[in-house]
Amino acid sequence: MHLIKKQQEIANANFTSRLFVEGMAGTGKTTAAIERIKSLIKEGAAADSILVMTPQATLALPYRTALRRSRVKTAADVQMETLGSLAFHTVDLFWPLLAQDLGFKDRPHFLTLEMVQYYMTRLVEPEIRRQDYFNSVHISRNRLYTQIVDNLNKAALIGFPHDEIGERLKSAWLGDVEQAYIYDDAQASANLFREMCREYNMLDFSLQVDLFVNHLWKLKPVRAYLTAKYRHLIVDNVEEDTPATHDLLREWLPLCESAAILYDKEAGFRRFLGADPKNALLLKAVCDVTIDLDRGRVMSPDVEAFQVAIAPHLGEKDGQARPKDGNPRGAIVYPQDTRYQPQMIDWAVNHIASLVHDQGVSPREIVVLSAFMPDALRFSLQSRLDERNVPNRTHRPSRALREEPAARALLTLAKLAHPDWGMKPSKFDVTYALTASIGELDLVRARLLTDTLYRDGRLLPFERISEAQMQSRVTFELGARYERLRSWLDTYITTTSLPLDAFFSKLFGEVLSQPNFGFHKQFDAANAAANLIDSARQFRQTVGKIEPDVPAAPEYISMVDAGVIANLYVRDWQADKQDAVLIAPAYTFLLYNQPIDYQFWLNIGSTGWGQRLYQPLTQPYVMSRQWTLGDKWTDALEVVANQEVLYRVIAGLIRRCRKGIYLGYSEYGEQGMEQRGPLLMAVQNMLRRLTREEQHV
Amino acid sequence: MNLPDDFVFSQTSLQDYVDCARRFELRYLLRQRWPAPEVDDMLEFEARMDKGEQFHHLVHQHLAGIDGEVLLPRIGDEDVRRWFDVYLKSGLDGVPEMRRPETTITTVLNDTMLLAKFDLLAVKPGGRALIVDWKTSERMPSTERLAQRLQTIVYRYVLAASGEAFYGGQPIPPEQIEMVYWYADHEGATQRFPYDAAQYATDTAYLAGLIEEIASRPNFPLTPDVNRCRFCPYRSLCDRGVQAGRLDEWDDGADEIDLTAFTLDIDQIAEIEY
Repeated sequence: MHLIKKQQEIANANFTSRLFVEGMAGTGKTTAAIERIKSLIKEGAAADSILVMTPQATLALPYRTALRRSRVKTAADVQMETLGSLAFHTVDLFWPLLAQDLGFKDRPHFLTLEMVQYYMTRLVEPEIRRQDYFNSVHISRNRLYTQIVDNLNKAALIGFPHDEIGERLKSAWLGDVEQAYIYDDAQASANLFREMCREYNMLDFSLQVDLFVNHLWKLKPVRAYLTAKYRHLIVDNVEEDTPATHDLLREWLPLCESAAILYDKEAGFRRFLGADPKNALLLKAVCDVTIDLDRGRVMSPDVEAFQVAIAPHLGEKDGQARPKDGNPRGAIVYPQDTRYQPQMIDWAVNHIASLVHDQGVSPREIVVLSAFMPDALRFSLQSRLDERNVPNRTHRPSRALREEPAARALLTLAKLAHPDWGMKPSKFDVTYALTASIGELDLVRARLLTDTLYRDGRLLPFERISEAQMQSRVTFELGARYERLRSWLDTYITTTSLPLDAFFSKLFGEVLSQPNFGFHKQFDAANAAANLIDSARQFRQTVGKIEPDVPAAPEYISMVDAGVIANLYVRDWQADKQDAVLIAPAYTFLLYNQPIDYQFWLNIGSTGWGQRLYQPLTQPYVMSRQWTLGDKWTDALEVVANQEVLYRVIAGLIRRCRKGIYLGYSEYGEQGMEQRGPLLMAVQNMLRRLTREEQHV
Repeated sequence: MNLPDDFVFSQTSLQDYVDCARRFELRYLLRQRWPAPEVDDMLEFEARMDKGEQFHHLVHQHLAGIDGEVLLPRIGDEDVRRWFDVYLKSGLDGVPEMRRPETTITTVLNDTMLLAKFDLLAVKPGGRALIVDWKTSERMPSTERLAQRLQTIVYRYVLAASGEAFYGGQPIPPEQIEMVYWYADHEGATQRFPYDAAQYATDTAYLAGLIEEIASRPNFPLTPDVNRCRFCPYRSLCDRGVQAGRLDEWDDGADEIDLTAFTLDIDQIAEIEY
């Protein structure tokens, strides 16, 4: 591995110092830190005494992969944590030490986001309805609850009492009184949820962080345990982390043998999750050595020239010198006269296909980005790329498990197997479930079976089809399979009663995955079934401990039908292994933090670039340690903030690009509206200026 | 080479391979989930897993410095309380003072990573190095059977090959290494497996051969021992049966339960839509 001198200072020296390493994305900070870890191990440090801390788990992937591939003995034992995982492990281990002070009788129940959504619905929603909270807010219940939880998380991560959320938001608000009521409602809901957590011994993320940083970390034995266990700290992307992490590090750094704190300049993309780059910079004062990496190692000269050329048009005042051998036009490709979005998509797909098939570019070296990635755009891209035989994969923040055909079939079969729940599935769902469950059964035959044999919530035996002609239309072979499934369900109804997850598992194993049935050798269906079973099991185990009287199975099914449960991200754990073009929202790619050869930016005329999401219950700039209480959030501040975000996002994307950027634009957007967003304006202004400069020359 | 270059072997994956090459392929190379039951009585199976996890967690808490008297009254389950009481009385008898619970060591063998995760590693630099594995199973397998298990082979080998960071920077002489299985349900009875240079050499050759075989084989056949398939979730995928085996016939003294199979994904926080 060739390292420049400054990288060597990180990798091969300063083993008893605390380093603060700063530099733009792509200057080799992570590479140097990985080499530092290898050197520490070779110098005799126990690998498990080295802690790599990142704001989110995906940012530790380069470490995990590189250390495993290094073939350095024990290098794979280096520990990777986020503040959340560290808080969880520490609270789970040391909660008895808080039992007396905080009233824990038993091991607390750690809530996943899915379970938080459930308890919001179950415990807080009745009060929201009774009090008519949020009557002027028109967003889905799940998004509403997510923002209530987000406020609680921010209070814990920034470090202010959770009962000051509403006042803080109101004090900055300048508009109508209606919004102030919404903030009051958000506060009341947060208070109620927190009370319920206390009452039922439940710990959501915010409580775990609070217990960890404000209680356990203050206890001598806990601090001694952690500081003895982890003697060397590597903290990457500290600018994307929160004040809670920064406070922890400020006290931890003087106690460790060595540390390297890596800070990306001009980043802070996780601000909406509490990231605070300014606060992170304060850690420089607790470090012994500062190293500034200023030489980009990712961008080609042309790409770097593009980054420099566009910066002033995005409001960046500090003019950087353009590299002498770089030409901004050499880095970008853009279409001529594309009026409608489908034309832009075709343009992008043609270029991608050409890169892959004609120029031999590996699909994994291409990413397609948009400010947001709506389903329609994602689907259009995927189907067109499929047509051109270009492997592709998507990464969306969330995907509903209940929309998976295999999961839907299992849910319907569960209703059929539990008539006592009183949840008779619709004919449509039964037809769908039979098609998915019985091998080679098409929709027409499945519909025939349903119309003839589905009566009053139960499936009747195949022999009840009296007409021989109709039996032969279904075929006796398929009829026998139907009968095997039906009789299995019938036997279950009369003899067995299992928790839902166990029912799913037994049905999967004994029927659906057997030869001639719909899940046999169907790996995607098996993955969906496994995810559903995990979700149902986790629900049963948590609810069973917290409220043993609640009938977990029908409650789970109701919550799935209502879109509360099984509505979150399903981790596609093989996705990253594929050599495929990645389709993702821009933020997701930025937080993936891996450089790539070619980027396609779509809909650059959209106003979504640089605009923050609609979050009526919260406000990321006010819910920040950088916010001065008493100040007002004005339109002018909003404009400045959006401009800064746009610059940082665009600079961040370019710095993660090696060879070229394709700027996809159509005159009219998805909704048929003319597109004149700030990114498009910046690109056009830059091109005009370049033309003027070229004419001058 | 049919292994990804960041592949890490463990005693569980190697045991899977030895038991059934196809199971190894499905579980570790294809990473294919197949959620069929492993035993007929899933709830009892889960309850045993849960008790085992509780016991391991309590021991971890105790070794992290929490007084046993603080932990004992908070244990709800009778079996777990009894096991932990036995542990407090005799679990650490003769265990060197420098104790590292839940410790993972990875070594490199044949250009491949091999990992061992110890319940407890207790090493006295210059002196003994003890690996303790807490068992909560109802049955105690024979010494001969345990000696052949990959866990016994891999754990001692990995410590001898890569334990120097715990031994003042020097390799741990195999003669100083011992592995102890400690049985909570049998009043703290133990099965002990000392180590020596000859066994280390034998294990090195055996493990290297096994890894080489896996890395170079073109296909992964099903086990000829169909009896194993009764307790394998992939049985329907392989057309090897319908019903899961009976829990009371499952060999809980030898078969490993993966206690980390259903861990909380705390990092979901960054994966949601706002």
